[in-house]
Amino acid sequence: MQENYLYTFAKRIAGFVGVLFVLSLMIFILARVVPGDPARIALGPSASQEQVDAMRMQMGLDRPLTEQYVSYVANALRGDLGRSLISGRPVTREIAALLPATLELVLATVILMVLIAVPLGVVTARYRNSWIDNTGRFFSIVGVTMPSFLFAILLQLFAAYFLSDWPIIGRIDHTLAAPAGPTGLLLVDSLLHGRFDVFADAFQRLLFPAIALAMSGIGQITRITRSAMIENQRRDHVLTLQSFGVPDRVIVFRYLLKLSSIAPLTIMGLEFASLIGNAFVVELVFSWGGFASYGLNAILQKDLNAVMGVVLLSGLFFIVANIIIDIILLMLDPRLRLKEAR
Amino acid sequence: MAANATRELEALTPRYMAWYRFTRNPTAIIGALMVTSVVLVAVLAPLIVPYPEHAGAAVNFRARHVAPDLAYWLGTDKVGRDILTRVIYGFRVSLLLVVGVLAVAVPLGAALGLAAGYFGGWTERIITGLTNVMLAIPPLVMALAVGNVLEPNLVNAMIAITLLWWTWHARLVYRVSKSIAAEDFVEAARLAGASHWHVLTREILPNCISVISVKTTLDAAFVILFGATLSFLGLGVKPPTPDLGSMVADGRQFLPEMWWGVLAPGFAIFYATLGFNLLGDGLRDMFDVEV
Amino acid sequence: MANLLDVTGLNVAFRTYGRRHHLLKDVALSIPEGGRVALIGETGSGKSVTSKAILGTLPRNADVEGGEILFRGENVLDMPRPRRDALKGTAFSVIMQDPLSSFNPVFRIGRHLDDVMYYADRRLGRRSSAGHRRDRIFEVLRRVQLDDPRRIVDAYPSQLSGGMRQRVLIALSLLHQPDLLIADEPGTALDVTTQDEIMKLINRLVAENGLSLLMITHNLGVVRQMADDVYVMRHGEIVEHGALSTIFSSPRQAYTRQLIEAIPPLYGAKVEDQKPAEADPIVEMRGVTKMFEQKPWIGQGTRHVAVNDVSLSVRRGEVFGLAGESGSGKTTVARMIMGLIGATEGSVTVDGKSVEDERGSDAFRRKIQIVYQNPGTSLNPKRTVGQALSVPLAFAGMRGAALEERIVELLRQVDLPANYVGKYPHELSGGQKQRVAIARALAADPEIIVLDEPTSALDVSVQKNVIALLTRLREELGLTYLFISHDLSLMRNFCSRIAIMLRGEIVEAGAPREVFDNPRHPYTRALIAAVPVISDEEETRKPRVSDEERRRYLVDTAA
Repeated sequence: MQENYLYTFAKRIAGFVGVLFVLSLMIFILARVVPGDPARIALGPSASQEQVDAMRMQMGLDRPLTEQYVSYVANALRGDLGRSLISGRPVTREIAALLPATLELVLATVILMVLIAVPLGVVTARYRNSWIDNTGRFFSIVGVTMPSFLFAILLQLFAAYFLSDWPIIGRIDHTLAAPAGPTGLLLVDSLLHGRFDVFADAFQRLLFPAIALAMSGIGQITRITRSAMIENQRRDHVLTLQSFGVPDRVIVFRYLLKLSSIAPLTIMGLEFASLIGNAFVVELVFSWGGFASYGLNAILQKDLNAVMGVVLLSGLFFIVANIIIDIILLMLDPRLRLKEAR
Repeated sequence: MAANATRELEALTPRYMAWYRFTRNPTAIIGALMVTSVVLVAVLAPLIVPYPEHAGAAVNFRARHVAPDLAYWLGTDKVGRDILTRVIYGFRVSLLLVVGVLAVAVPLGAALGLAAGYFGGWTERIITGLTNVMLAIPPLVMALAVGNVLEPNLVNAMIAITLLWWTWHARLVYRVSKSIAAEDFVEAARLAGASHWHVLTREILPNCISVISVKTTLDAAFVILFGATLSFLGLGVKPPTPDLGSMVADGRQFLPEMWWGVLAPGFAIFYATLGFNLLGDGLRDMFDVEV
Repeated sequence: MANLLDVTGLNVAFRTYGRRHHLLKDVALSIPEGGRVALIGETGSGKSVTSKAILGTLPRNADVEGGEILFRGENVLDMPRPRRDALKGTAFSVIMQDPLSSFNPVFRIGRHLDDVMYYADRRLGRRSSAGHRRDRIFEVLRRVQLDDPRRIVDAYPSQLSGGMRQRVLIALSLLHQPDLLIADEPGTALDVTTQDEIMKLINRLVAENGLSLLMITHNLGVVRQMADDVYVMRHGEIVEHGALSTIFSSPRQAYTRQLIEAIPPLYGAKVEDQKPAEADPIVEMRGVTKMFEQKPWIGQGTRHVAVNDVSLSVRRGEVFGLAGESGSGKTTVARMIMGLIGATEGSVTVDGKSVEDERGSDAFRRKIQIVYQNPGTSLNPKRTVGQALSVPLAFAGMRGAALEERIVELLRQVDLPANYVGKYPHELSGGQKQRVAIARALAADPEIIVLDEPTSALDVSVQKNVIALLTRLREELGLTYLFISHDLSLMRNFCSRIAIMLRGEIVEAGAPREVFDNPRHPYTRALIAAVPVISDEEETRKPRVSDEERRRYLVDTAA
């Protein structure tokens, strides 16, 4: 059984490596066929043709495309994504500095999503067609359909009119000195350093962006959890337990909940792609200054190296999230582990 | 089966059951009404807007930032244009985007999904592999990247969204077509001499139509949302064409005082996406399919 | 004698899609203390609804509109919810029908058993430690002949075979000694030999523990083994009731008579012999082996021999029966003959030509047609009968009026009215769908038709008519049938030659009379001995098999 576990897992990892490869190829081609010379972007409009040619040589743009791609991948594997065309600093270092901010936001969002959506899905399924169900469904459909930028702005408006002291911009008050390391996540670091003032401020600032970012995921997951619960409720194995008088709450909260968490988890993996996208918008509205804001600027300024780095890293983000979800699924569902045995 | 039981069950045709489910679902009907209203308003825009000239680059500085009143139901923007007029024209742009994207993405995705599910083998491996890669790309990031290296405008936004959107339909139709292809009637048709084309279009496709139509309706909502987000970030439709996303972005500069500049276009987007979503949900219940 | 359970005037209706369906009409039945009662009926007769009403597990959209269910003189319908729940598993226990779906796939078997025991103990006001419960569970598992209870409780449902799961379901119902055991078609989804074992087990447990039994089934052969009293149900009504012997020997109602007569006899004067075909062979298989291999990108591949060194020949115009249990390779053999899959070794020829060369060509495809087992999936739900029938005709080059005429003629051949052309599958009954499927096979104008358990999803009375139709068509059109089935009594009467398959090999072949009167291979004997029959005469003429022999061929215990 142990072996099959590993085998299933290895197959998934191999698939993910393939995904990263194709993604890098696509973004590379895109970056090379665009109108607009990266060397020209780097040097600005006032540079002479000789300077641009020299820059092209230095950037390796005169070599054949395949060679450029191979060296790009080789460098990327060593953690070198090239230099930003605008700032001239290494893209890897620039992104690394901003990553914790986004990581903190995304982690908070995922925690919110699970804490709100799963219980809501269970409760709406349990009290199907009651006022609880209708309210919950309305809430989830609002989550799915409201644009996250609108939700973010509404939260800011709400704070502006009703919570006048609530900070709605940035990660931390500029008068507070952020504790250094080790994780880069303000909430964690502040606790490790015993800085409760920083924790309180950072928590306040994190709450609204996380809610805005979590809304659409909450809607989706509530919906999926609800329909999985209802679907599984019709199954024969529920009838088995009912026939022997096992109480309903045990059937719902033990048997059905575990079985019905498989579908929403799978969806959550896919949702990560749009979550990363929405992070761009939410970071912009709340001036969060994370990886997503960096990506948005890179795109607007046509900083091609940075754009490639951002896209690749977004893909990597998605993949890591999905690997984690796969591990959880493997633990939850014995069928996934046993499938290969036959 | 029992004779009178059969008679009772015969009355329960799939059509009756679907209609019963649809009409028992008030939200579906509300959704249908909302969608109808959006489409009607967008189509009739030139006839019903109060200030047709405000749809373009007009300026009306005497009435800048007017709060909603009787003359300007939803207020005016920073150059004094009527927001109601621009919201109605904004619906046009949104719907244009929806039609443009879905007209290409749905047939393309459906065709690939059908082929992958039916033929299996390498066709299946390549198409599902490609789909999996595409799903791993954050769509907004990719659309931004594509939209920006090309010129940001409506057509390019459409292209960027379409490039990503087909994957969802491919994935969905693949799932259905794979299960249908395993049914006995498909093999029976092949044994009877039917061609692959006949099997794909006559045997499998009709069984996918309900899923595709539900997904397409739900998609309309997401394309509107997606397009609005792109233009909110400054990479969608170019001014002065009225677009809901860029109107929100413009209005944001004057918050919190001039709240109507954000709320009017913002809720217009929400109204349209909510309508399509409720309708799609209703259709999902009606056809009893998983999307 | 006092009755354990008395049901009187029970009326139950379901509400679906705003309509009311009256499913149980004045149902009345009694189960004496220690008695064995059978409730028989065809699909949709309301027998399962009756058991759910007694147990108290009717779905939410069901209404009990009247009647009483007296358990030891007390009406369970009037009981408050907790009292009624307290009866579950202790006063009434049920053996669930489908061993495949009756367990939650993400929980271990032991978890199910322990929860059922824990909550039943609690309702009875007993306290039990986990270790104590475990001991009791092990003991019950041993009683249902699961000799390694430790492995069973630690297994996930998908790790056990169907037969083992069915045994666990029986164990579940015996965790607390119940007074009444309700068995809802146990073992129907399993192979005959396994089903036979299960029936014997239930019978023994009922006798040993002095339980009362309510057996719900559609199989009259099972009833003969398992009941003393019989109720016959139809359209939600009890149409006949009597002692087992009277029901079988002198049924009063035409419906009961029809049910009994529809069952093909295994032995005796009523058995029909099909005359052997003398013509030359149309299908020949020589030393055919089929191996399925799975080669993943990494790791070790798996290899499965589905068919091993099979040789057979089918003569023109005969009904060749291929019998065997699930996984025996009979369907694989048929698919190789049809050219749908290739053989790994050996040669398959049809009409003297190698299938390997011919397969895929239009002419060959049309030469062999198939009628599938499941009427629900053999017709496209989105296409009308006419559209389904026009496919083979159109591809044979037929157009316009000729095509329409031919469709009407085909419908007439399978005894369906011409106006069925415009009907969709959901408007047809199971038997009618199979008739359309037969018509579609005929439309290609084939020489051979593969019948892949064409009647196993149908009620016996419908099965009888479909078989009669197939026999008539064969005579009229000179067709050759390859009949795949696990139903030996049906094959005894319908086939002119049969072959018995076990784990990919043919263990015995010959004319049905020889094979049934004088089975040589022990597996054939075990298989025939397991067939439920409806008369004592047939029972005594079945071959004898020792327990050891029988166990050797139980596909299930090997899993």
